[in-house]
Amino acid sequence: MSEWLESAIARAQGINDWLAPKRANALDLLANSQWPTRKTEAWRYTPLRPVERTQAKVLTDEVNLKPIAIADLSAIELVFVNGKFDPSQLADMLPDGVSIALGRDLDSTKQTDALNAFSTIKPQRHLFGLVNDALAQDVVIVTVAEGVDIAQPIRISSLLSLGAESHTRVQVSLGAGARLTVIEDVQAQGDSLNTAFVEYNVAAKAHLEHYRFALQTGTNVAIGGSHFNLHDHAKMHSSIVAFGSDLSRLDTDIIHAGEYADAKLNAMYLLDNKELFDLHATVEHAMANGTTQENVRGIVADRARAVFNGRIHIHRDAQKTSAELNNRNLLMSDKAEINTKPELEIYADDVKCAHGATVAEIDKQALYYLETRGISRSKAQVMLNFGFINELIDLMPNAALAEWVRPIIRERFAQMDVE
Amino acid sequence: MSNTKSLLTIKDLHASVEEKQIIKGLSLDIKPGEVHAIMGPNGAGKSTLGYVLSGRDGYHVESGSVTLNGDDLLAMETEERARAGLFLAFQYPVEIPGVSNLEFLKAAVDAQRQARGEDSITSADFLKEAKAACKQVNLPVSFLKRGVNEGFSGGEKKRNELMQMLLLKPKLCILDETDSGLDIDALQVVAEGVNSQRSDDRSFIVVTHYQRLLDYIKPDFVHVLSGGKIVKSGDASLALELEAQGYAWLQNEPAEDELEG
Repeated sequence: MSEWLESAIARAQGINDWLAPKRANALDLLANSQWPTRKTEAWRYTPLRPVERTQAKVLTDEVNLKPIAIADLSAIELVFVNGKFDPSQLADMLPDGVSIALGRDLDSTKQTDALNAFSTIKPQRHLFGLVNDALAQDVVIVTVAEGVDIAQPIRISSLLSLGAESHTRVQVSLGAGARLTVIEDVQAQGDSLNTAFVEYNVAAKAHLEHYRFALQTGTNVAIGGSHFNLHDHAKMHSSIVAFGSDLSRLDTDIIHAGEYADAKLNAMYLLDNKELFDLHATVEHAMANGTTQENVRGIVADRARAVFNGRIHIHRDAQKTSAELNNRNLLMSDKAEINTKPELEIYADDVKCAHGATVAEIDKQALYYLETRGISRSKAQVMLNFGFINELIDLMPNAALAEWVRPIIRERFAQMDVE
Repeated sequence: MSNTKSLLTIKDLHASVEEKQIIKGLSLDIKPGEVHAIMGPNGAGKSTLGYVLSGRDGYHVESGSVTLNGDDLLAMETEERARAGLFLAFQYPVEIPGVSNLEFLKAAVDAQRQARGEDSITSADFLKEAKAACKQVNLPVSFLKRGVNEGFSGGEKKRNELMQMLLLKPKLCILDETDSGLDIDALQVVAEGVNSQRSDDRSFIVVTHYQRLLDYIKPDFVHVLSGGKIVKSGDASLALELEAQGYAWLQNEPAEDELEG
């Protein structure tokens, strides 16, 4: 076990609050866990040295940080600053049918519900998920009542100042037939460490639109997860946009816990310098008639490294499942690296499944076509690379977010070296 | 108006693809404002000529020379040839999802303006020009927002090629089997667009298998390409002759069943 984890456990043992039973459970599991090494499958290509070496500390000083403004987006701001929920940034009046509250402030009935729901969607195999269970500073509970359609997105921002360590946790629960958009966002200054986990329970016929932006770069360590439980006829549409940092790791779990659920996941990563980004996406088809469409695209430049592990597990009773997983990568330099592993595990006999992973260079025909119009080779390469990612941005249902992130990605391409 | 200086001069060109000789001693001289049709059976090297002139990777010039406005075309990169005024309208235009038609067109126009030492065009001005070009080729303006050729029908792709020609204002346009896959209405739209661009300082090479296109785009000269070189040249009446006789009269030609399509 690493010193870092030992110290984390020691700190967690000192916390005594409403989550105590769950924290104790996580600590038990952590005590019996191995610190991941190169031989640990889930961490094989993502060394934990940046965690072992981190000097980041939980800071207690009051810091005033605000999330980056997104033009044309009027969101309900749920802001964590260095791990602490900042209620002053939350609107005084929330739309009818939504409640946002700290777990410790809930009345006893609601707190019991929250406690029972805590860490039931996020699988226990995620080591840093357990760390987050044990160390989460403020836990925020979001609920949307049955049948309510919330037009205003909720934006969960985790903001970190220089050298900060934070552990943020949110539980989102959509009542039957409810509709909600949630944006997850980390903005971190250097030498920081962050674990940020969100669990979503999407009740029957509810519809969740989800975004996760992991655009932090440089000397930041971010390990997080978004975990979804889909009930009968529930729908989710998720878009993930990531750059890389010293260590940026994201685990997503989509669980088809009801029949006829529909999940769409579009993820894109653009890595430069010596950045690392690791996406582990797992889909559990536990029930019949579900559909999953997963499109993951990455561009890796310079000496950056990307890891993608996409697993779709179709249980024995999940007949009539339709699942597709596609991972496409472009490598921009000889030293760039991508480790991709799509996995299909199928135990039902009447399903439609497809998966594929490619690592390629730019389409030569398209390059030639652009050149015949006078566009230089280097400009054409940037256009084609951008187009490769832009296809997925075009699929974002929220136009304000698409228009916000598009120029950010364009800017990143302008900085990436071609060859 | 008469200008005797050549726009394009090809002398004894030999070119190969994957070590297979396709162009075997082709010579051609085109003066500004002229329309030359190149006809011939499949496999004669018609499309290869367009690729060689545009500088496609994998198409090797073995010998011979090509000048555009007196400059050595073969010494230029593909994009430099385009900036020098060469335009190839593809038989099968490439689909590029994720790159919007408008972005693509503006990048092309800007690249060529830059080569002439001009400033980039403003987005607002360009949008106006692009919309006008859309209208002229009968494409809905919404096509500017779509991915380049993405999901376009065959006719829409050809009209999109034509729109690029309108915006780029090249000196030499090579139309590679522009008529293939078009119904008669689409063919007329494309032909009208081409005709509207005919001028004393713009020349065309119209590559086609069939005479049909030449009913709409009247050529000044017709050449028959066979076995990698021009075996016969004449005026527009040669095209009609070919239509009546087919290509079977050509020496060393493939059997008739290969002449269809």
